[in-house]
Amino acid sequence: MRLPPFAYHAPDTLDKALKIKAELGASAPILAGGTDLLVHLKHRLASPAAVISLKNIRTLKGIEVGADSLVLRAGTPLREVAAHEGVIRNFPLLVKAVHSIGAVGIQHFRGTIGGNLCLTPRCLFYNQSLFWRTGKGQCHRTGGKDCLALKGSESCQAICSGDTVPVLAALSAQVTIASAGGMRTAPVAEFFTGKGESPFNMTPEEILTEIRIPLPWGPLSSSYQRLSFRSAVDFPLINAAVAAILDKGKVESFRLVISSAGPAPVILKELESAIKGQKPDPAMLQPVREAAIKAVEGAIIENASASKEYRVKLAAVAAVRAASEALGLENQPS
Amino acid sequence: MKKQLLSMTVNGEEVNLAVTPNTTLLEVLREDLGLTGVKEGCAEGVCGACTVLMDGNPVRSCLTLALEAGGADIVTVEGMATGGNLHPIQQAFIEHGAVQCGFCTPGMILASKALLDRNSDPSEDEIKTALAGNFCRCTGYRKILEAVSAASTGHTEPRRKE
Repeated sequence: MRLPPFAYHAPDTLDKALKIKAELGASAPILAGGTDLLVHLKHRLASPAAVISLKNIRTLKGIEVGADSLVLRAGTPLREVAAHEGVIRNFPLLVKAVHSIGAVGIQHFRGTIGGNLCLTPRCLFYNQSLFWRTGKGQCHRTGGKDCLALKGSESCQAICSGDTVPVLAALSAQVTIASAGGMRTAPVAEFFTGKGESPFNMTPEEILTEIRIPLPWGPLSSSYQRLSFRSAVDFPLINAAVAAILDKGKVESFRLVISSAGPAPVILKELESAIKGQKPDPAMLQPVREAAIKAVEGAIIENASASKEYRVKLAAVAAVRAASEALGLENQPS
Repeated sequence: MKKQLLSMTVNGEEVNLAVTPNTTLLEVLREDLGLTGVKEGCAEGVCGACTVLMDGNPVRSCLTLALEAGGADIVTVEGMATGGNLHPIQQAFIEHGAVQCGFCTPGMILASKALLDRNSDPSEDEIKTALAGNFCRCTGYRKILEAVSAASTGHTEPRRKE
């Protein structure tokens, strides 16, 4: 399968990359590992004038552990993230999430942490070849005015499918976004717009430069759960992450995030205050199950290789498993 | 589309050529350099048949722009044998019948090499994880696992059937 023609820029500093981005905007997407972008180009889901490679920009690679946070530069290969001693020690759920992305040949060296966060939302009617799509008509993302999966939907409901997304949202990570005009930060939870056609709160002139995860302020107890048809080279049907602080037998904080449901991760906020301050108890799992179903029922539509009904049930399973593991309630029926 | 210069090392030899930016590493290796051991299966990063080693790491050559490989050290299956002798992994694939149609074999062998170069005595689970991104549509996985296991240092007795 051939790629469409485009120009190639490989600037050696972020400033130079931002200048090119300021000039070319959306017509010049960022090429980090390319494992998502090149597939899109081959499927003619995008035909950019140019691509901007991050290959030569050293300041966009690497991991630093500071006094209060761990900083992952956006262009850091996934394997380096999963093998980093500071990540393994502080955030075992992130290691598990990275290991479940694609396969070794994708994680190793090519795929990046920024790329996984910026994975374009996926849909059964969108992530297909040009030939396949010509038989179905156009959707919000391919120049049409309707959604092929949900007739009458005002925006694209494609699925945010990054494995690291619920983990980074549960850990209250922040993203740093640069443009020629300066830098800004935003919580990962607010990075997603909820609209598949423009899924990220970034202008076409901006580049994601780093992800900053605050170090846990108490004993972190966490879990990442993913359900998919295959254990490798497959996107999650649903995934969920829990980050809790358990101190002296009490839950000091609790955050559960479900993703791979709709275009944005879903944070189960009402559970946070209900569980905080209590002792872990199997009785907490029923409210988790109910909250998970309530949260995803509005987000999941018929646009994946499994039915909506099945994915809603899976969301409850993933949420209960994640909460059980993080709260030390293993071996509870889910 | 303007061509750009690309310099890289392929199987130990320095290569200089001009390529258009939309050329993949797979296309350069197969079409410009004649290294047809690199296979194009799905062309979208799923099957692993196009796996080559880039600075020792297994990568999908179908999803790697040729220009991204500038300055890199590339190894294809053609670069495995030395002095007319097959690499121990290649030999193990033959001895264990780990080749059926052979289309996935170059990718399997290079993914195995990347594993054994890092971990010379992997467990079966570690081999399965390392090869999880390589599909064999003849489904000859059992023999492939045996071959990789036989090529590892921890293996002493040849596991050949009578």
